[in-house]
Amino acid sequence: MAEEKKQPRIGVFVCHCGTNIAGTIDVEAVKEYAATLPNVIVADDYQYMCSTPGQAKIIDAIKDHDLTGIVVAACTPRLHEPTFRTATKEGGLNPFRFEMANIRDQNSWVHMHDPEGATAKAKDAIRIAAAKASLLEDLYPKSVPVEHAAMVVGAGVGGIQAALDLANAGIKTYLVEKNPTVGGRMSQLDKTFPTLDCSQCILTPKMVDVGRHPNIELHTYTEVEEVDGYIGNFDITLRKKARGVMSQDEAAAKGIVGGGCNGCGDCAAACPVIKPNPFEFGMAPRKAIYIYHPQVVPLVYTIDFDACVKCGLCVEACGEKKAIDLEMTDTFETVKVGTVILSTGYDMFEIEKKREWGYKQFDNVITSLEFERLICASGPTGGHLIRPSDGETPMKVAFVLCAGSRDNTGVGKPYCSRFCCMYSLKHAHQLMEKIPGCQPYIFYMDIRSFGKMYEEFYYRIQNEGAKFIRGRVANVLEDAETKNLHVYAEDTLLGRPVDLEVDMVVLAAAIQPTENIDPVRKMFGVSCSQDGWMLEAHPKLNPCGTTTAGVFLAGVCQGPKDIPDTVAQAEGAASAASIPIHTGKVELEPYFAQCLEEKCAGCGMCISQCPYSALSLVEKDGRQVMHVTEAKCKGCGTCGGFCPGGAIYMQHFTTPQIVAQIDAFLLGGEE
Amino acid sequence: MHEYAFFLGCIAPNRYPGCEAAAIRTSRNVGIELLPLKGASCCPAPGAFGAVDLRVWYAMAARNICLAEEMNRDIALICNGCYKSIYEVNERLKEDDELRDEANEVLAEIDMEFKGSIDVYHLAELYYDPKICGVEKIRESVVRPLDNTKIAVHYGCHLLKPLKERRFDDSENPMWIEELVEAVGAEAVQYRNKMQCCGAGGGVRGFDLAHSLDITNEKLININEAGADALTEVCPFCQLQFDRGQIEIQEKFGIEWGIPVLHYNELLGLAQGMSPQELALDLHAIDCKPFLDKIL
Repeated sequence: MAEEKKQPRIGVFVCHCGTNIAGTIDVEAVKEYAATLPNVIVADDYQYMCSTPGQAKIIDAIKDHDLTGIVVAACTPRLHEPTFRTATKEGGLNPFRFEMANIRDQNSWVHMHDPEGATAKAKDAIRIAAAKASLLEDLYPKSVPVEHAAMVVGAGVGGIQAALDLANAGIKTYLVEKNPTVGGRMSQLDKTFPTLDCSQCILTPKMVDVGRHPNIELHTYTEVEEVDGYIGNFDITLRKKARGVMSQDEAAAKGIVGGGCNGCGDCAAACPVIKPNPFEFGMAPRKAIYIYHPQVVPLVYTIDFDACVKCGLCVEACGEKKAIDLEMTDTFETVKVGTVILSTGYDMFEIEKKREWGYKQFDNVITSLEFERLICASGPTGGHLIRPSDGETPMKVAFVLCAGSRDNTGVGKPYCSRFCCMYSLKHAHQLMEKIPGCQPYIFYMDIRSFGKMYEEFYYRIQNEGAKFIRGRVANVLEDAETKNLHVYAEDTLLGRPVDLEVDMVVLAAAIQPTENIDPVRKMFGVSCSQDGWMLEAHPKLNPCGTTTAGVFLAGVCQGPKDIPDTVAQAEGAASAASIPIHTGKVELEPYFAQCLEEKCAGCGMCISQCPYSALSLVEKDGRQVMHVTEAKCKGCGTCGGFCPGGAIYMQHFTTPQIVAQIDAFLLGGEE
Repeated sequence: MHEYAFFLGCIAPNRYPGCEAAAIRTSRNVGIELLPLKGASCCPAPGAFGAVDLRVWYAMAARNICLAEEMNRDIALICNGCYKSIYEVNERLKEDDELRDEANEVLAEIDMEFKGSIDVYHLAELYYDPKICGVEKIRESVVRPLDNTKIAVHYGCHLLKPLKERRFDDSENPMWIEELVEAVGAEAVQYRNKMQCCGAGGGVRGFDLAHSLDITNEKLININEAGADALTEVCPFCQLQFDRGQIEIQEKFGIEWGIPVLHYNELLGLAQGMSPQELALDLHAIDCKPFLDKIL
């Protein structure tokens, strides 16, 4: 910290950013003003500071003028701070001698109609930055070792793909899934658009792979309980929910030879309790001891202890395998990983909230996911689509698109759910294919067929004879006698009201983040957008990362997307998550709090203030002093602001630096 | 006593004076005093004025609000059309500086200024609000319960929509006016497509009467199917459409419904013991006698 103090020599560089800045701000005037500021030795401007010649200006100026600090007035540190730090370093200065003034995003862009005000504001911003740059010190990043393991939370198609990629890259991967089986939403689907591949057929090989992979440790029926640590060294506690049934590995560990569940199903045959199967949305029965469907991975039964009457018939049926333990309780296990991928997926919006469409009021109004199960060969009806009210085959079916999506009433969701158009087209195709003479009517606002071969699929469905009506459905009413439904809408192309009598209505309901995901999200320190989707580090340039180092996102938890996009993002996240692991160490930005031990009274007040649990009290020279775990410290400054003795030194945000910035602003440049 | 500036509107005093009388007399019995808003003009009608020139709509509505601001009282009113104009203009001018300046420029010519110092309420929502009155208080004020009657409720579009500009959280299947109806002793019946428009608003009645009556007829079919003895609403314009509309439907389509249509104020008046004469029920186009026979 303490170093030889020489008079600061600052260089200021003002960027035009094409017309982004220069179109609003008088760059020439700003540059001339900067040259008059205290300690500023050189002031320059350039078309694009981030370009190679722009950076050369910085490097040359450092050498020519023996500068001690650099200020670039340009866009935002989120975009180009690394660029200019590198240039500063190449010029022979410590990279942390660089300070940025944001005169684009927070100035010329928002004040484009007030050039004078924007110019004055730019001068203020540069004055403040130069004041700080005069006091900047050399800092040195620390690096921490990275655990050679990763965790993937959520085992839908995204989580499965990410886990396989990590495992194939030689990284030990923990795949955590709250449900009894991997597969997620994709295993509930019948076909996938636009190729009409069977969803299960293309997913099950991957499910089998994660079940077998030597580098993957699968934790199904498990939830994340607690997260501690930081990039490279996360300690994650898992709650293994009481399943009531032991796998063969668990039985072997207990010394039961040839024991554990082999998926024979004798237990379920013996079980007397019948409950609706949530995997089939309650349209099929299951026992209190169950598997979702025949292709589950791992093939281990699960007991629903809320329904189980503990009669013991299943234990009897299981016999020598001794797989069932009716007294099983939740167990906890802590694992250490270097990086984490969240792929927690989505749930359907409670479409009954949109009362005008009559879901849960009228028998023959169903959701698209229910339609998937009804049309699926392995579904509750063996693939024969029937009306719930009377079991008849529907001959006229209306599809309500944007059911709860693109909805600004405050009841639904404002965003587009992105795959409903396409799966509804697929549903229309399946109807016409399976039921000769069946007529689908698609009520749409816009058809968004944005993907590869999607538009062609749209044409195909049109040519097959589906009817398209442009207008969101106003309401659905039931004919009490026949249980048929009247769909009311405005055909906005004809400008006429529509009253259509159909046998069945399918609602393409909006999707929303998985229920109760917020606690998990917060444990990993990931923020969310207004709609609850997890927030990526940058929507375009860092779509898999988050603002928490070492935590990555894949799939719909980050925002609505279809299977190809989910898998692509999962592969991206796996690649990003493997980088620190393969590097073996991560560099941490040196904005740590430092304890000035001679001033520290050991009161411990800072410890309760720290949001990152980075502080602790340690014994030193016979007294208690505060100690910072630098890898955990994010440099937020909460402790430094709070310390009653002024014993905490915030690197890169020291009190003198901040005071100098405030003075520079308030005194308008007067010394 | 909660005091409000009472914005009358046009249709109630001109065509259904019983509505006005009932509002003033019934509210007194549940702790609400409606003070006359002297000098008030038309609200102005959102469909008619808003469709021609929004600035006129803003300025005229703002003038009515200014009158209540000078009284230092919140506004209470009894018509959904007035509610749309006065409530929405009040909210928009409070939020939008440019709009407010524009309206105030016009108001300055008559030495008035919109300050945004008051709120606007529909009398029905005040009746339902437990902090002001509440269903319990309504029930306690009843001296002649409307037992053995089945009443269908029509909310009216402008009261609840657009949802995001309203305080009501459900515009698709609200039940609170039903609670108010049950409070006066009647049975509130549910009918198909309850939230459909009466057929009048938004200029439809003025523009295309046949179409407008077709919508009204659709509603009457559903209300009749539910076995209602009467229809109640909280909007004199809906009342006009249902009441006189039945006569027009008879003339145009030859269908005779004979369903009495009473504003909720009139129902409450009956339940609080006001006579049909005091409520001017003889001015209704559809004879209320079959309904009155059940309760008197």
